[in-house]
Amino acid sequence: MLLMVWYTPSPEVAYSNMLAIMSNVPLGQFMRDLHRLGAEAMVIIVTLHMLRTFLTASYKKPRQFTWASGVVLVILTYFLSFSGYLLPWDQLALWAVTIGASMIEATPPEIVGTNLNLLLRGGPDIGANGLLRFYLLHVLLVPALLFVFTGVHYYKVILHGHSLPPKEENIGEDTAKRVPLDKRVYFIPDILSSEVLWIGVTSLILIVLVTWFFHAPLENHANPQSTPLGTTAPWYFLWIQGALKLGDKVLWGIIFPTVFLVFLFVWPYVDTAPSRRWAHRRIQLTVGFVIMSTLVIFSYMGLSEFGVVNSADVTIMHHLTMEPAHNHMGILRPVPYEELVPGQYTSREFAVEDSREAASAVAALNAEIDAEIGAAIPRFMNIEGIPPAATLDEDIRLYMETQHLPLTDLNFVTAPDAAPELRAVLEEFAHEIELHEDELYHGWGGVIITEVQDGLKRIDVFIYWQDVVVENGKVVYGEDGEPIVRLDENGNPIPRLNAQHIFIHRDSQYFAAPGT
Amino acid sequence: MNLQGLIFQKIEHRIIAGTVAFLAMMAIIGWIAINEPGRMASFEQQYLARSIERGAGLFASNCTECHGTDGRGIVGRAPGLNSPYLFGHDFYGAIDRETSNLEAELNNPNTTEERRTEIQTRLTELQTERAAIGQRLATVSTIPGYYDPESPSRLTNLAWGSTLYNFVYTTLVHGRPASSSYWGQPMAAWIQTGGGPLRPDEGQDIVNYILNWDKGEDWTVEDLLAVNQFPIRPVDPATVVSGDVETVGTDVAAIVAELPSFQGDPQNGMTLYQGALGCLGCHANAQIAPLTDGTWTRVQEVRLQDPAVQALLPEQTGEAYLAFSIVLPHDYLVPPYGPVMTATFGAQLTYQDLADLIAYLRSQDQPIQ
Ligand code: HEC
Ligand code: HEC
Repeated sequence: MLLMVWYTPSPEVAYSNMLAIMSNVPLGQFMRDLHRLGAEAMVIIVTLHMLRTFLTASYKKPRQFTWASGVVLVILTYFLSFSGYLLPWDQLALWAVTIGASMIEATPPEIVGTNLNLLLRGGPDIGANGLLRFYLLHVLLVPALLFVFTGVHYYKVILHGHSLPPKEENIGEDTAKRVPLDKRVYFIPDILSSEVLWIGVTSLILIVLVTWFFHAPLENHANPQSTPLGTTAPWYFLWIQGALKLGDKVLWGIIFPTVFLVFLFVWPYVDTAPSRRWAHRRIQLTVGFVIMSTLVIFSYMGLSEFGVVNSADVTIMHHLTMEPAHNHMGILRPVPYEELVPGQYTSREFAVEDSREAASAVAALNAEIDAEIGAAIPRFMNIEGIPPAATLDEDIRLYMETQHLPLTDLNFVTAPDAAPELRAVLEEFAHEIELHEDELYHGWGGVIITEVQDGLKRIDVFIYWQDVVVENGKVVYGEDGEPIVRLDENGNPIPRLNAQHIFIHRDSQYFAAPGT
Repeated sequence: MNLQGLIFQKIEHRIIAGTVAFLAMMAIIGWIAINEPGRMASFEQQYLARSIERGAGLFASNCTECHGTDGRGIVGRAPGLNSPYLFGHDFYGAIDRETSNLEAELNNPNTTEERRTEIQTRLTELQTERAAIGQRLATVSTIPGYYDPESPSRLTNLAWGSTLYNFVYTTLVHGRPASSSYWGQPMAAWIQTGGGPLRPDEGQDIVNYILNWDKGEDWTVEDLLAVNQFPIRPVDPATVVSGDVETVGTDVAAIVAELPSFQGDPQNGMTLYQGALGCLGCHANAQIAPLTDGTWTRVQEVRLQDPAVQALLPEQTGEAYLAFSIVLPHDYLVPPYGPVMTATFGAQLTYQDLADLIAYLRSQDQPIQ
């Protein structure tokens, strides 16, 4: 409620509202964190509650409808959380929701799916309309429904009383109503007071968590033009994303979740055996566990690490330079600013067995790139009107110029001893190139640090290698067990280069992400 | 229910535990509130830093083409932004302030004689210092564009009433559509609100990056001399022609008859060509317009031999062709170029300007590439 005071659902200002909440509103960050964590906690608690109800078979007669209203509440809770996801209008929000909404698009027949999607997003892509719709869902429609169904659920709970633990009950009897008067648990004052207590205790736990352990993420401004590598749906929808990787969009994205939900609704009416004891419910419990394991496995498959293949150079670049997202960031970013000494460094320095050979490895590379390339050998820079580069040094510099990095010479040096963290990154860089040595054939990397402004440095990272045959993300090997090098029409290996750059400001405070 | 019953059987205990939890919450919130100002300030600093990083990326890919990778401008293309002039640094500022303070003291009747001599010595010293700086600034006049150390602030010269931040941001929103008469390619609008490609927050990132060039009091003369191109002052006498100055118009025959009475100065022609008139902006490489190098050779060996050209000229001389192609650029189009050259030079140039330009272009007699 309070957060609404500072928020306008429009793509132009939503994000700056977030910044204002973070930077100008006292306790703003605290409220945001609490809101975010509370939302996630609610999803978890509601799910656990459902699980508990299933295990103790509390859904059985006469509480079938209580269970059904509970299922509605679970769904609504998920949607409440999901519709809130988009509102900060950062990259995380935009792409998580885009993925979520595109599942809806798969609804058959096509005309229904397309229109449902349009209705929700307010246009072919999520923009101003979509944001406004999600905002209204989040603050009006879903809460209103949630309110109604909570009423139904509570009414039913009060009507039928809480079920007792299965062991204390005779099979087929609902004893809640027959508990002797002095042993009954009444809503007022017993349940009410303990609920107030638990609200107090959980709030305290949440507050402790957001104060010291959890901060709601805020990534860069949403940019429909750039998809971050490794986007995922919110974690509680990961199972659908994972299922989607199995194949058909309609089958796995729509039919499977729908069947699953219908199954949940009708379960109490299917499982009508009177006993609530575990020993009598072997089949039901087995079904339940199979379903739960499936969901866990699907969720794991939904992670970006699973089943998505990127080429080795892209993966390594990403690992070094990525913007902070999903609690990760490129390993170059948290290197202390003073350690980013301007200069040209190379992975070759760290690709040697014996560190005493490091300096000569760098010198050897400098000699290698300064050697004339023969007329027949291809360059990767072929610019019309500019004569082909004479040396590899020049070839790389021509490329860097297209990245707006003018260099007069390439001359690698060994990384300064006073920069241990930079050295560690370079070592990791060398190590990763080595891990992919078949795909990045004869590959080596460079890191060029320049000072752009006072307090601002630019870091260019590149990998140079010879192209090999890769199929479906896997290197193809020849009969000699070596990768098959691709050759041009003159029979020469084809050089490849991938370069990327980031800027680092002195005050950017990229600290190591938790757990890395 | 059993679980809860086990932990707090009695309602009194629940009330106590609840109260304790509530108090603990309040204590933590209070503690956070106390630390808020520090946290907010550090968030803002961090956010600005990351904004500058993003701005640097956007500047590199969108602006360096015209304003240079180091932001110091490119001759004939666009003015420097990494320049003391944009930030209004006054190299005489400290000296002038001290001078006027001392002069005020001199004018004060209560100042003692002793102090007056002291002040006089200091004033002479200051004058020498000022002259020394002037000496070092002298070469600044060779840089194209307008810069006057006595009037060192771009914003003041434009009578800009707001902040530098807004000046840069507004330029990004609207571009400079009106400046095509003195720049080869005017700057386009960059922000979506003005029809450009970038989002407003990206515009803010770029502005933060540009403002990060500011060195405050630490700007040096070297920084100034490193600028490649200064902006054009809107009231530059070379470009603005008031009513009573005669411009050449577009009657080529009349121009050719009149021109011999003016002595062209190639040096001055070059300054006009590279700076104020922005000819070099288009004629820099052969992409947009014919190369400047070799113009005169081309005129002699190719154009004047072309019957289509001959038919358009009042007399078959290189000077006539140059005058013709400057004031009526679209009447004959050098293949393969289109009709993009500014067609209003006839209404801007005086005879002296045109004579200077032609004198300069005559010196471009390199072999044809
Ligand atoms: C096509 C070349 C071109 C590009 C690209 C370009 N500019 Fe410009 N810019 C100019 C020209 C020409 C001027 C001078 C206009 C004038 O004097 O009226 C200018 C002026 C400016 C000024 C005002 C300087 C002053 O003193 O008046 C700023 C600020 C500026 N540009 C920023 C940018 C930024 C930021 C970008 C990248 C988003 C950019 N420019 C891209 C050509 C360009
Ligand atoms: C907006 C870009 C632009 C500007 C500014 C511009 N020109 Fe041109 N100019 C062209 C183009 C394009 C051509 C070739 C097509 C044509 O003949 O009009 C050309 C052709 C010429 C030619 C003929 C060259 C030849 O090889 O025959 C001359 C001379 C010339 N320009 C001089 C000037 C002078 C002097 C100025 C400055 C006062 C100037 N131009 C400013 C675009 C420009």
